[in-house]
Amino acid sequence: MRTLKALAALMAYPEAATIEALPEIRYVLETERVLDPTRCAAVGRLIRELEVDDLLDVQERYVGLFDRTRTLSLHLFEHVHGDGRERGPAMVELAKTYLDHGLMIAGNELPDYLPLFLEYLSVVDRAEAKQLLGEVAHITQALRDRLLKRGSAYAALFDALLALADHLPAPAPVTEDVDPDDFAAIDRAWEDAEVLFGPAAAPQGAGAADGCGKAAEILRRMHTT
Amino acid sequence: MSHFLDRLLFFRKNVDSFSNGHGVVTNEDRSWEDAYRNRWAHDRIVRSTHGANCTGSCSWKIYVKGGIVTWETQQTDYPRTRPDLPNHEPRGCSRGASYSWYLYSANRLKYPMVRGRLIRMWRSAKVQHKDPVLAWASIVEDPAKTQSYKAIRGRGGFVRSTWDEVNEIIGAANVYTAKSYGPDRIIGFSPIPAMSMVSYAAGSRYLSLIGGVCMSFYDWYCDLPPSSPQTWGEQTDVPESADWYNSNFLMLWGSNVPQTRTPDAHFMTEVRYKGAKVVVVTPDYSEASKFADVWLAPKQGTDAAMAMAMGHVILKEFHADKTVPYFADYCRQYTDMPHLVRLVQRDGRYVADRLVRASDFADKLDQANNPDWKTVCIDENTGKIVPPQGSIGFRWGEQGKWNLEEKAADGAAIKPRLSLIDARDDVVPVGFPYFGGQTHEHFPHSPHPDVLMRNVPVKKLQLADGETLVATVYDLFMANYGVDRGLGGENIARSYDDDAPYTPAWQEKITGVPRERVIATARAFADNAAQTNGKSMVILGAAVNHWYHGDMIYRGIINLLVMCGCVGQSGGGWSHYVGQEKLRPQTGWTPLAFALDWVRPPRQQNSTSFFYAHTSQWRHETLGVEEILSPTADKTSMQGSLIDFNVRAERMGWLPSAPQLEVNPLQVTRDAAKAGEEPGPYLVKQLKSGGIKLSCTDPDNPKNFPRNMFVWRSNLLGSSGKGHEYFLKYMLGAQHGVQGKDLGVEGRAKPQEVVWHEHGAEGKLDLLVTIDFRMSTTCMYSDIVLPTATWYEKHDLNTSDMHPFIHPLSAAVDPAWQARSDWEIFKGIAKAFSAAAPGHLGVEKDLVLNPSMHDSPGELGQPFAVKDWTKGECDPIPGKTMPSLTVVERDYPNTYKRFTALGPLMTRIGNGGKGISWKTEDEVRFLGELNGTVAEEGPTKGLPRIDSDIDAAEVILTLAPETNGHVAVKAWQALGKATGIDHTHLALPREDDKIRFRDVQAQPRKIISSPTWSGLESEKVSYTASYTNVHELIPWRTLTGRQQLYQDHPWMLAFGEGLCVYRPPIDTKATTPMLGKRSNGNKEIALNFITPHQKWGIHSTYTDNLMMLTLSRGGPIVWLSEIDAQSIGIEDNDWIEAFNLNGALVARAVVSQRVPKGMVLMYHAQEKIVNVPGSEITHARGGIHNSVTRACLKPTHMIGGYAQQSYGFNYHGTIGTNRDEFVIVRKMAKVDWLDGPARDIPAAAE
Repeated sequence: MRTLKALAALMAYPEAATIEALPEIRYVLETERVLDPTRCAAVGRLIRELEVDDLLDVQERYVGLFDRTRTLSLHLFEHVHGDGRERGPAMVELAKTYLDHGLMIAGNELPDYLPLFLEYLSVVDRAEAKQLLGEVAHITQALRDRLLKRGSAYAALFDALLALADHLPAPAPVTEDVDPDDFAAIDRAWEDAEVLFGPAAAPQGAGAADGCGKAAEILRRMHTT
Repeated sequence: MSHFLDRLLFFRKNVDSFSNGHGVVTNEDRSWEDAYRNRWAHDRIVRSTHGANCTGSCSWKIYVKGGIVTWETQQTDYPRTRPDLPNHEPRGCSRGASYSWYLYSANRLKYPMVRGRLIRMWRSAKVQHKDPVLAWASIVEDPAKTQSYKAIRGRGGFVRSTWDEVNEIIGAANVYTAKSYGPDRIIGFSPIPAMSMVSYAAGSRYLSLIGGVCMSFYDWYCDLPPSSPQTWGEQTDVPESADWYNSNFLMLWGSNVPQTRTPDAHFMTEVRYKGAKVVVVTPDYSEASKFADVWLAPKQGTDAAMAMAMGHVILKEFHADKTVPYFADYCRQYTDMPHLVRLVQRDGRYVADRLVRASDFADKLDQANNPDWKTVCIDENTGKIVPPQGSIGFRWGEQGKWNLEEKAADGAAIKPRLSLIDARDDVVPVGFPYFGGQTHEHFPHSPHPDVLMRNVPVKKLQLADGETLVATVYDLFMANYGVDRGLGGENIARSYDDDAPYTPAWQEKITGVPRERVIATARAFADNAAQTNGKSMVILGAAVNHWYHGDMIYRGIINLLVMCGCVGQSGGGWSHYVGQEKLRPQTGWTPLAFALDWVRPPRQQNSTSFFYAHTSQWRHETLGVEEILSPTADKTSMQGSLIDFNVRAERMGWLPSAPQLEVNPLQVTRDAAKAGEEPGPYLVKQLKSGGIKLSCTDPDNPKNFPRNMFVWRSNLLGSSGKGHEYFLKYMLGAQHGVQGKDLGVEGRAKPQEVVWHEHGAEGKLDLLVTIDFRMSTTCMYSDIVLPTATWYEKHDLNTSDMHPFIHPLSAAVDPAWQARSDWEIFKGIAKAFSAAAPGHLGVEKDLVLNPSMHDSPGELGQPFAVKDWTKGECDPIPGKTMPSLTVVERDYPNTYKRFTALGPLMTRIGNGGKGISWKTEDEVRFLGELNGTVAEEGPTKGLPRIDSDIDAAEVILTLAPETNGHVAVKAWQALGKATGIDHTHLALPREDDKIRFRDVQAQPRKIISSPTWSGLESEKVSYTASYTNVHELIPWRTLTGRQQLYQDHPWMLAFGEGLCVYRPPIDTKATTPMLGKRSNGNKEIALNFITPHQKWGIHSTYTDNLMMLTLSRGGPIVWLSEIDAQSIGIEDNDWIEAFNLNGALVARAVVSQRVPKGMVLMYHAQEKIVNVPGSEITHARGGIHNSVTRACLKPTHMIGGYAQQSYGFNYHGTIGTNRDEFVIVRKMAKVDWLDGPARDIPAAAE
């Protein structure tokens, strides 16, 4: 699907070369016709924006969105693993998949960079691409919603990806994007569960009737020996 | 039946249990384990460390697969210690373990970035001007344009750029600035070189080559304890953490070891099992407190009072009432206590004046060389007055007598008399200044006369200027503590319960600590030292160091250690771990870092005075000099404001100055040539006539602005920006939160030495470039942000004073995205600079002004009264009464070539440090063979190459005695010439050891003992400070050559700090004018603002790490006591605001029993960029902890040209204190996240 390649180009940092290629991108979208007309038009609005607006303004907006906002990161695993230790192995795994298709990462980009991932999808067969888009749909969905909330034309790209996915599961919840104006929600997000000690504490598995199981076990042994 | 046939003979079942049923063997599917197996299947494992400024220098294994870092674990292969000592590992803490996140974080800086508004102007300027220097000029010479991009600093708007483009801008800006204003307008700030010394050297080498200014950090961070240079002539030297295990009595005084020294804490917990006592002194219930056998909780900032009371007990019981031979012998040989002090009459009473010198006697005691700088004592055996060897007069101009052997100058054995009590001519009352009676709204005081008269045994001496009374330092010291020695008189204590300064009862009123605990602790401390010959140790930290009068707290503690003979003994001594750096291979590093192989001397500036002047914090000064002067001072000679004192120090050559002159120093040499004169004498004449002015006298004049600034390896504006809001307002011209009005508006007294402009200059910097791997607060305010390689993406070296190993940072993977190592970044800038120079700058002569430096003959400046040449009190003599002047030749178009080759001065002049020097031809030849030599034609042909970061590391390792045994032997030989003692036995066993970069990658390597440091690395002792002074009889680098407990410089005496005294915190007056004036309806309270190091971050590094945020509260927090919280209706987790005249910050409240009433704790350096709403006071984003601070200088730290009180980079100078500050705290009425569109600041028309 060259459409995916076109979406990848639009999603990457807008350079002068991108702007020059906009007619070609538009041509691919309009001729390949894998996107429905509404979505195609929405992407068209982004293309229009890129064409009309001053490139530096476009770039400033882009940096503000994708380089400076963690919840809009274009690296897939940022939304899945965050700081987790699984992130490294997951990237290794993904890079291996590319390698199995004879593709090596050329620059200094990470394997989970979404435009790079899309470029990969653009060269595999359509069914596989749709299936893999389905696997990351929960991320593209979250990104679309966050961009919509910010009124950004970039939302169209992610909406298009959702439309191309063959299923829309949400395998794992992505990190919450708390509305900064909703104080109650912020409080909830920041709140820790109260920690209780001693017998009054909530049951935590075996031996919990007496509070902490470990402590109960130690007490038991003290009494019997 | 035997069941013989039921038993298997040749098989056994593969489903079985073992270990009494604790283990089972099953045959179920175990393929799920592959995930774990694969996790540990790596392409390679690389050793690196985290170059965070904790200087933990912990060894980590970095697991790499497919070019991606997948994992990190602690390394466990440190070289073993001795059989009786625990090993170092595991080192590394949970913060470090979360590091690999930074590599791939969404917050990582990935591309060179420039603010859109600036790049737009640049690109259109480039269309008009092909020459980049002219393009830059067209921007910065247009006020509308500069205003346009400066005003939006801190408000986003970045775009990505390319390395070529940013290098061109930076190179052009630097060329333009050097040409138009002078190279000393190009400033660079980077802290703690020890944490990644090649990266530091990259920037400082570039700056030093072009004549830019490197800024100090240690004093600015207020981690430098001025008492250390004052007492020992040493920046800071401390035991490695393993030496804690050799102690029998540990005091943790204002140092939260388990929290902030996590990888070292095990030595402290382990030695408790050996029976060591642990006493913890902290006002709050800290992590350390729970390890304490005794926890003492003095009111914050009053620790000196407690230390003085402990000293009182020890002096009374272990010096006055009985003699402990070890203590007495130690004090006699290793301290200034037997040296004689002149008593003079002032205001009708005797006060202690300066130390007696050989030149005070008619015959100068037969001393032809430096008699002004040789102190004297009385030989107990003969009763004669003698100048003992080892004082600073013996250090310069002669050789072989600078040592601590108990000998007079003529070589005769002597026994210096400690006390005149049994050999006195008389007993006279002497006045001692007392500050404990000063009132302070928030601190208790104890009223007594401000001058305490105490009886002192004296001798009458016939000196050249007449009969004079003299006393020993020891006798003055005893009197200062109010110890009753049977001499009668007032103000002495008959009992510990007397309310006389400095008894245990007296301190109780001020500190709140029960007197019995103070007595018991002091007694146990001294008793242990007496029994073990000094194995009592104090670990002390920022909690006591960051006060305006922190040097008094420190000297109070140092006195305890010295009077008990603990300094220089294994297991004993002074263990200051605050922003500590120990760049162990220092003398190998300085040539690389400051380009000493090409040009000498470099320009180095003390940051505190610089930022105080150039962020206009002086325009808001509230502390009057008269508030801190001694009641015994001659007030007429000590007038003016704090900045006046600093200006005087600058023009007398005490402190450095940057920018230096109103005229471009490149122009001064041209003008001198035109006038047919040498530049030095020409400038002296011009300065004297007023034709040329020093920049320090007019910091608001555009001629004197710092213009370009580099910040790397640092969050200067955030965690390190004392007076953050003043930086924003004055230096950057950005949106700020300063609330106070300047001296002009307030109608207060203006400085005398500095030109006052009605409107303080704003937006002084034309270009701020920050190099980082994450978007710190400083990056947010920068014009250009460059992405640097992280600690797993570059080769570098790392050392610490916590352990004796030299450790690598290694490029486990290539820098991600477009990041580059600092070494490559500055190489790129040097190249662009060299390309832009022709046509603007060629080979130029630069006139460099330098202060009188410590460890050089310049430290023998003015021995007696302070004379100011601008007042006609003396002639301006460079290097003596004013800064030294040196003409340096700069080859601007060849800057890049010079950067990448080891210059000829290493062969021509040699190398050295701390006052000794040696030849380096062998090492230079070796480096040529190791790194290869430059093949291309030009000024560097045939010189050793320094192309890569590993080349640079090899330069350091080859030139340093600590990593090259041959050099170590040479260095000890050089020192032996001065001391007359052969010290080479300390390095000979390791003479053939040469540590290479690949060696430290294989395993951390223990350094070789060198005279750069005062401790030894050997199989027998752990590294501890002052060890070689005590055991090798090498003098301390002080006036007397001994531990200097009496500070006799006229300014020290004028500020009442000849001897240690208790001084209450200063009144910054920052809250009263605002209390209740800007009400939001909630109650307000003024509380002391304390900023300790945190649990969920290391400085500002890690605080934006999601794991650390999750473990704390996900945003800025301030701790306060239950009592204070209740009094103003704050509950835990409420949003609160803390503010004063300096600015405001917002945070969540943590209400805790940990915190005592009267103070708040805000963990240092919680970034302004994470979950910070708007302030109700400033209506801007709610600030960082430094938003409510302002630097305040102390004149005694400006002293120079006076033995140990001489300038050295990061060694001595004014410090950025911050603990005396108060804030108004209240609950917020409305939390505003400022998410609306920013108020538009119009761009300049193009």
